[in-house]
Amino acid sequence: MTISNDKEFKAALTKLDDGERRRVATLLVQQVFDLSGDPRVKGGLELAGRADVGSAELAVAAAGVNTARVESYTQCGRDTDWAAQASHFVARAAQECVRPVVDLAAAWEAAMQARMARMCKTLTAGEGTDNREAEAQYQTLDAFLKAKGSGS
Amino acid sequence: MSASLDKGVRVLKEIIDAPIASYFSSCVHCGLCAEACLFYTETGDPKYTPIHKLEPLRRIYDQEYTLLGRLAKLVGLSKPVTDAELAEWQELVYNSCTLCGRCSVVCPVGNDIAYMVRKIREGMSASGNAPDGLKGAVTRTVNIGSPMGIKLPAVKAQMKHVEADYGIAIPLDQEGAEYLVMLSSMEIINFPEYLGAIAKIMRHAGKTWTLCSEAFEATNAGMQIGNSDLARVIVKRIVDGAEKLKVKTVISPECGHAYTALRWEGANLIGRPFGFKVQHIIEVLEEFRLAGLLKTEGMETDRLTFHDPCQLARRGGVIQPQRNLMAMIAKDFHEMPDAGFMNWCCGGGGGASAIEEGEELRLEAFKKKKSQLDAVKPKRLVTACANCRIVIEEGLEHYQMNVPVVGLTETIAEHLPDSVGNE
Repeated sequence: MTISNDKEFKAALTKLDDGERRRVATLLVQQVFDLSGDPRVKGGLELAGRADVGSAELAVAAAGVNTARVESYTQCGRDTDWAAQASHFVARAAQECVRPVVDLAAAWEAAMQARMARMCKTLTAGEGTDNREAEAQYQTLDAFLKAKGSGS
Repeated sequence: MSASLDKGVRVLKEIIDAPIASYFSSCVHCGLCAEACLFYTETGDPKYTPIHKLEPLRRIYDQEYTLLGRLAKLVGLSKPVTDAELAEWQELVYNSCTLCGRCSVVCPVGNDIAYMVRKIREGMSASGNAPDGLKGAVTRTVNIGSPMGIKLPAVKAQMKHVEADYGIAIPLDQEGAEYLVMLSSMEIINFPEYLGAIAKIMRHAGKTWTLCSEAFEATNAGMQIGNSDLARVIVKRIVDGAEKLKVKTVISPECGHAYTALRWEGANLIGRPFGFKVQHIIEVLEEFRLAGLLKTEGMETDRLTFHDPCQLARRGGVIQPQRNLMAMIAKDFHEMPDAGFMNWCCGGGGGASAIEEGEELRLEAFKKKKSQLDAVKPKRLVTACANCRIVIEEGLEHYQMNVPVVGLTETIAEHLPDSVGNE
């Protein structure tokens, strides 16, 4: 099956176990990581992408990612830098990947926050509301399912 | 006297109205206002005593409107207000005051010190002594319509994103809707889930609502910097939008001064009553609850507490509704010490969080909020102000306290049916 909309995307995520959802969520966030570059987020994603990651490692990573998220808020009254705000949403997305358990809600949240990050980029570039990140996410999940199905 | 100082002093003279004159005459120098102010209690520095923040205005009052003061000025015995003094007072009037009003409610002679600080900001702003951060916010408000530079394409992008996330259409410019939902820049930029929560709640309650393309921004930078003319322009924009769309109620978002500006000062600012109601989103949710329109499912089981935003609770009188809403979804709710009317400010309101150079002081003042949280040890904190959320998160991060902060509107929405998103 080729995923072509959010309903199919969610249905596919539902069929994965928590570990698989963590890896998929991580792939989705890594796709937008170029909008951040924060080493704490990078480290968190690298850990989350490992099949054998332990809860203690995740807890440490979560603290670092949370710091990156809080530090990247745009504060009230400040001029909005949409490029910088993209990195905030990358951190928010990464936060879902380093939770103790990545259920459907967390995986979906990671996907949506990653789309927000891309949206910030399109705003910076003056490209309006067009955001093709959803299609890219469908392809990523498709590829993951194919690889899983082929036993690799 | 420089031209800017001249202008500032002139404005300061003009803003001394009957209330301010009576407040200065009534002050008994008891110092109770100091003990109510987190900037004083957490630093111990007497310069942060609230009434002291008004010293330049007090001197002008004395020199212009009291017999002894005028005589002293005549014979050269009183100190005129100077450029340097106003520059020095910028920190006291802006960085170390969030207009939280705690000082006003403890004053034994009934002085509304927060009102006085609001007014002195008019003179500070006119004399060019407002912080750069707030000046920038004002410039963006004038030029773009939003203190944080948000334009309609960004709002539309958010709408599109939220529609995809929640599977609910976000109405724009719908004439005749019951509710006009205002947003603060903070929600548009940092918390798009607020808009999603609104959409979900309105659908659940069966209410019609809309955003307005010509008036989506609720934040009132004019109030924060002390520029009544700008405050009026911002309110008028909202009023024009609401009247054009013929809505019954305008909903102020989870933002402090947006509510104060529109709900309590708006009609006076534009010189006429509104043809619609103004309510904070929390008041609207409480109405829905009372009407049986919020059928929540499940409860949060972790230990929760609530931070009352100053402009909503102490200044706005909305204290019980948030508790009623929390009772719908919180199994293990605990009040902080001094919760409700006397809650301690987050330290970032009134424009303070826009002032970069005030960060160190804010984090120092945050120790008061920290002490409240240390007393109750919550697993999570719930609040109803986007600025409070960020200021509190920054403080928690600084003091390495692992307490997630969430918004009340989103939390309520999560407990409505279909809370796992669109099916």
